[in-house]
Amino acid sequence: MRIAIVTPYPPSAGSLNEYAFHFIRFLRQKPEVREVIILADELPPGQAYPADTERQPGVAPLRIVPCWRFGALTNSLRIVRAARDLAPDIVLFNIQFASFGSAKPAAALGLLAPALIRLAGIPVIVLLHNIMETVDLKSAGFGANPLAERIIRAFGSITTRLLLRADLLAVTIPRYVEILEAKYGAMHVLLAPHGSFDEAPPPSFEPPPGPLQIMTFGKFGTYKKIEPLVAAFRQLTAAGRDLELVIAGTDSPNAPGYLEGVRQSCADLPGVRFTGYVAEEDVPRIFGDASVVVFPYTSTTGSSGVLHQAGNYGRSVVLPRLGDLAELIAEEGYTGEFFEPDDPQSLADALARLLDDPALRRSMGTQNYLAACGLPMTEVVEWYLLHAQNVLKTSAARRQVPASPGGMAPR
Amino acid sequence: MALITRGSGSVAVLEIAGRFDAHVAPDVLAWYKQTPSSAVVVNLAGVNFIDSSALAALAGGMKRCRQRGGDLKLCGLQQPVRIIFELTRMERAFDIFATEAEAVASFTI
Repeated sequence: MRIAIVTPYPPSAGSLNEYAFHFIRFLRQKPEVREVIILADELPPGQAYPADTERQPGVAPLRIVPCWRFGALTNSLRIVRAARDLAPDIVLFNIQFASFGSAKPAAALGLLAPALIRLAGIPVIVLLHNIMETVDLKSAGFGANPLAERIIRAFGSITTRLLLRADLLAVTIPRYVEILEAKYGAMHVLLAPHGSFDEAPPPSFEPPPGPLQIMTFGKFGTYKKIEPLVAAFRQLTAAGRDLELVIAGTDSPNAPGYLEGVRQSCADLPGVRFTGYVAEEDVPRIFGDASVVVFPYTSTTGSSGVLHQAGNYGRSVVLPRLGDLAELIAEEGYTGEFFEPDDPQSLADALARLLDDPALRRSMGTQNYLAACGLPMTEVVEWYLLHAQNVLKTSAARRQVPASPGGMAPR
Repeated sequence: MALITRGSGSVAVLEIAGRFDAHVAPDVLAWYKQTPSSAVVVNLAGVNFIDSSALAALAGGMKRCRQRGGDLKLCGLQQPVRIIFELTRMERAFDIFATEAEAVASFTI
């Protein structure tokens, strides 16, 4: 099977790049996969994708074809053209609603690509990490007023219908399946577990020497806001605790300059460290050194890869009381302390409960580690391959049956 | 949880009861390895809970059987288990039968 994947991929800083990295790492190891082609976003000047020079036996070759650009209006057409030229057996999209741009036209036009590729005769599976129905548009940086929000939601519904033109649409939360089935009558939406990224060794629960570290990891500025965390940190250190706050990651593509603004606003506060982009090899150390991992989200747009990483490294976590994350915690076996979004006092209280109780940190870290071990990414990839084989079988059968007049053949 | 195994002609049958989850999945994977037959029926009539690890174990078993020219078929899914198969669309990947007899018989057709 030759599989093309439309996704951001490191060193691109696009959202879901880490997920793609791990997914593709395991995909290449499957014997039924002959080649993996990444239809990636174009990198800024001076950056380049790694060449696939170190071929290992049993690992499918990897080709990276940069063919779209975050924010451009022509992404769909370019992606379809690339897919037609490369003629893979199937195209997989690893996307969310803002994958192709922060501006609404670019974001929406990019999401036409799955439908267009299917119209071109190539089977398509979409892994959609969020759905419009559960996104808090205000917190996510869209929808400045109610009318605009209603218009965006209407466009969101249209875009969702277009995404549902894919042969299969996978989501990572059971409620998303129910919503899409109920609202759109879709019968080809499926639940696919998020999966854990690494087969990490059993973690150490002992903090490294020095101050206890509070760490947050991600791309910040839209619905991941640092200010309440800094304010909570200020309260905790003022109470005499020896702490360090580590802000690991970069600006969201939708919020350039955000972290620099935060850095300037807390320049007077000792113990705050900004790491910038975290290279893959540094991820274990960043998580391993943290006593608590914080999710300073004001809304969620899907299952959190960072939560799975925190679980992999046996970390205790502090999460906002938001529907999706609480549901994910309950359904996947994770546990955490919760705080009210945008409430520094509530966040400081949640952090204090963990920082002051090593036994609680240890038991929470253990439970999260066991939850993360639940389904490794390699098994999740197996599921996708099973579904891909079924889609290919159905597509082949469809090609042998004359098309019904006036429309696409039924799924 | 209980695992019961038996043979029905050339078909190996694995009957699972209770919760089929991450704690049981390794036992099922171990059973595949020691089972010479590539024609396998997994009877889930006694299973009242199934999680993603269990589904992965079944998918892995099916792949293993098919690579050896056989198949892994399922039977007796209770409603809570069937819902999980439908939610994950795994019911399209497996051949699923109402009874063990039908599943075993399907190997000879």
